[in-house]
Amino acid sequence: MLRITGGKVYDPANGINGEIREICICDGRIVPEVEGGRTIDATGMVIFPGGVDVHTHVAGAALNFARAMIPEDHRRNQPFVRTQVRRGGIGGATPTTYVTGYLYAGLGYTTVNEAAVPVLSARHTHEELRDTPIVDKACCVLMANNEILLDLLEAGEKEKAQHVAAWNIWSAKAYGVKAVNPGGITAWKWGKDAKSLNDPIPGYKTITPRQIIKGLADIVDSLGLPHPLHLHCNNLGAPGNCTTTLETMKLLEGNRAHLAHLQYHAYGGDDWFTMRSEAARIAEEFNANPNLTTDAGAVLFGNTVTITADGPWQHLLYKLTGHKWGNLDVENETGCGVVPYTYKEKNLVNAVQWAVGLELLLLIKDPWRIFLTTDHPNGAAFWRYPEIIHLLMNADFRREQLKRLAPKALKRIYLPELNREYTLYEIAIITSAGPARALGLPHKGHLGVGADADVAIYNESKDIPHMFAYPRYVIKAGEVVIEEGEIRKTVEGKGILVQPSYDQKVESYIRPLFQQYYTMSFDNYPVEMERIEHPDLRPCKQPRA
Amino acid sequence: MGGKVSCTLGEVKNRADLIIYWGGNPAECHPRHFTKYTLTQKGRYIPNGRKDRTMVLVDIRETPSAKAADIFLQVRPAKDFEVITVLRALIKGHAVDPELAAETGLSMEQLQDLADRMKKARFGVLFFGMGLSMTRGKHMNSAALLTLAAELNAYTKFVAMPMRGHGNVTGGDVIMRWTTGYPFGVSLSRGYPRFNPGEFSTIDLLIRGDCDAALILGADPGATMPQPAIDHLARIPTIVLDPKVTHTSRLARVHFTTAATGISAPGTVYRMDEIPLPLRPALKSPYPTDEEIVHRIYQAVAAKPPLPPAVMLSQATM
Repeated sequence: MLRITGGKVYDPANGINGEIREICICDGRIVPEVEGGRTIDATGMVIFPGGVDVHTHVAGAALNFARAMIPEDHRRNQPFVRTQVRRGGIGGATPTTYVTGYLYAGLGYTTVNEAAVPVLSARHTHEELRDTPIVDKACCVLMANNEILLDLLEAGEKEKAQHVAAWNIWSAKAYGVKAVNPGGITAWKWGKDAKSLNDPIPGYKTITPRQIIKGLADIVDSLGLPHPLHLHCNNLGAPGNCTTTLETMKLLEGNRAHLAHLQYHAYGGDDWFTMRSEAARIAEEFNANPNLTTDAGAVLFGNTVTITADGPWQHLLYKLTGHKWGNLDVENETGCGVVPYTYKEKNLVNAVQWAVGLELLLLIKDPWRIFLTTDHPNGAAFWRYPEIIHLLMNADFRREQLKRLAPKALKRIYLPELNREYTLYEIAIITSAGPARALGLPHKGHLGVGADADVAIYNESKDIPHMFAYPRYVIKAGEVVIEEGEIRKTVEGKGILVQPSYDQKVESYIRPLFQQYYTMSFDNYPVEMERIEHPDLRPCKQPRA
Repeated sequence: MGGKVSCTLGEVKNRADLIIYWGGNPAECHPRHFTKYTLTQKGRYIPNGRKDRTMVLVDIRETPSAKAADIFLQVRPAKDFEVITVLRALIKGHAVDPELAAETGLSMEQLQDLADRMKKARFGVLFFGMGLSMTRGKHMNSAALLTLAAELNAYTKFVAMPMRGHGNVTGGDVIMRWTTGYPFGVSLSRGYPRFNPGEFSTIDLLIRGDCDAALILGADPGATMPQPAIDHLARIPTIVLDPKVTHTSRLARVHFTTAATGISAPGTVYRMDEIPLPLRPALKSPYPTDEEIVHRIYQAVAAKPPLPPAVMLSQATM
């Protein structure tokens, strides 16, 4: 039992904007009243619902591949010394699993969504998520390059495709569906890419990225999944890709969808020399499409490592930078690429990328539809979120930072003209209430009665980056895990998943195909339920007729 | 140089029309590799199986694997790095000094033919074994081969994969990475992971006599390591967990007989392409599992009061 008194509460989901309220917690939930127990005096502090990260890469084969590739980064970064309550590990761009949990909790984040899981290695992802303490974890299964599914969509067998998709979600013990560069990774298996929405995918007769996106969005909506299709659009990172993104938004009319890391999809220009921001056009179209949500995928200057299922893009990045390149194609399903990368102020392209992330956050009017992410670790590591919050809340600081860019870059971006400053209320939306709503988690991202008792308490301070980087208290499921900026307790988080309904007979359709195309036995493929620690099975909405 | 361009084995089965084994003898060391993944299987885009594939074997001697190969290239010992470098040059169309090429034991025609085949393949794969990675040049050989595979992607689709063995060595590597950030050669003596192969790798620690106890799991260093390392294992308290009595057990102070994982104990094994497979025991064993024993040792150690200097050290570094 716990009572928090005297703090200014920012709980946007319940319309509470900085009022001094009392929060009572019992048995891991927010309750109207408690008798006895501990009281935290939060006078002079602000109280947020625990943060929710809608798009991050914290576990699984791809990230673990990246860990092996950058020992030099591990050496540069913060070591975590083992203590009585926490395990040793390494911070940096790809923190070890335990440290990932500590670092997220250390920011006031209590729920994360691992955004890219192949079914084939989902067992690995869940093993890592199990070793990620404190935070609750959901994950999205990769489906836009699954060849069994693509064959069905090409043949127009939508209903069967839906059953196969649902079977895949349950096999991966996932929470949502992710589409990465639809068709592009399948093409990459022959060293090609799918740049246009309307051209048939190399290796296929008729199917186009457009049909895959539409098909999957329909499937996700029909299954009534709590989280809409999580889409990484085609043509990521390329100059002039805003036309693809605008086309994709039009295509999604009538469906729900979440566009991941929009920053990487909002560029104009014809090549690297003429690349410019098209954040204004993208934001305008996005504002007019209330069926969509997005996350920023903002970039910060410095060293990081890029990890994506988008294999062809990573090959290009390797050719551009001459840096190390890792690639792992996953049979019949997807791929992944890893390239360490440094974003530099004086690099024109990087300067545009840095600006676009912030511009989208400032130009998209409804904070309930755009969320704070860096596509960790692609744009920057998640533990740098407070730096972005600072840039959003202080226009003067932003102008100061613009001076660090190459002067040529200023003509290519909109940022110098933007004066909007985020309020604490809006920060609470983009870091917690909004993503929780987009993920379809009604018990997360707010402090109303019945919600999970995930609470972050910050010192109210003008020093924004310090305030958000070092919360005074973090409470996870009613347990005080961070106190005075130190880890006091490491609780275990839940695994969030859904079980969409499907026709059991679909297994007899998949089994022979599987035996033909895969190298694993069919019965070993689905992840066993026992492997999910503290499972939290969320309901699907009533399937649409 | 750096990184690795790879895939899962199913991609090889479904797509590879050029399969190159380098410094390995899969016919004897990975006897199911040809039939399950690479050569004889029909794949989605390889309708005729073996007929649609070309296999090349590169090695210093004619092993039984050569019988399976369409082309066998016998390299002069310790010249792998040079062969790879020549191939990288030929692929980019650079001139190569025939005299230098001759030192490799292969003719210019053979090298040019291989380079052409690599560029013309629809999907090529390089599997490399310890004949490459553990001979003269060591990790530089592996790096050169991985770079060759990466560079070939400018022309076609090409991947590379090490031929790993020894039970679940890949699983050990994978878990070390997510818990410590590094695959092997990790020291936790300062309370956080530090990585330095050559300093913290097992053989080096043992030969220098840096460690004063050893816990051996799923390995038999007494049969495979250099003599000075084995001598040190015999000097210090060595504990072995193994389903059977090994060479190491004979020099250890304590041997625990454990249930055999995969036969009578459950678990997960990572295949060489890092795909996790569940293990379901078919039999019951009277012996405890490795996990159970390690857990019980851990509990016993945790129940002991910490040594005073350790307490001071941990406080000093906090």
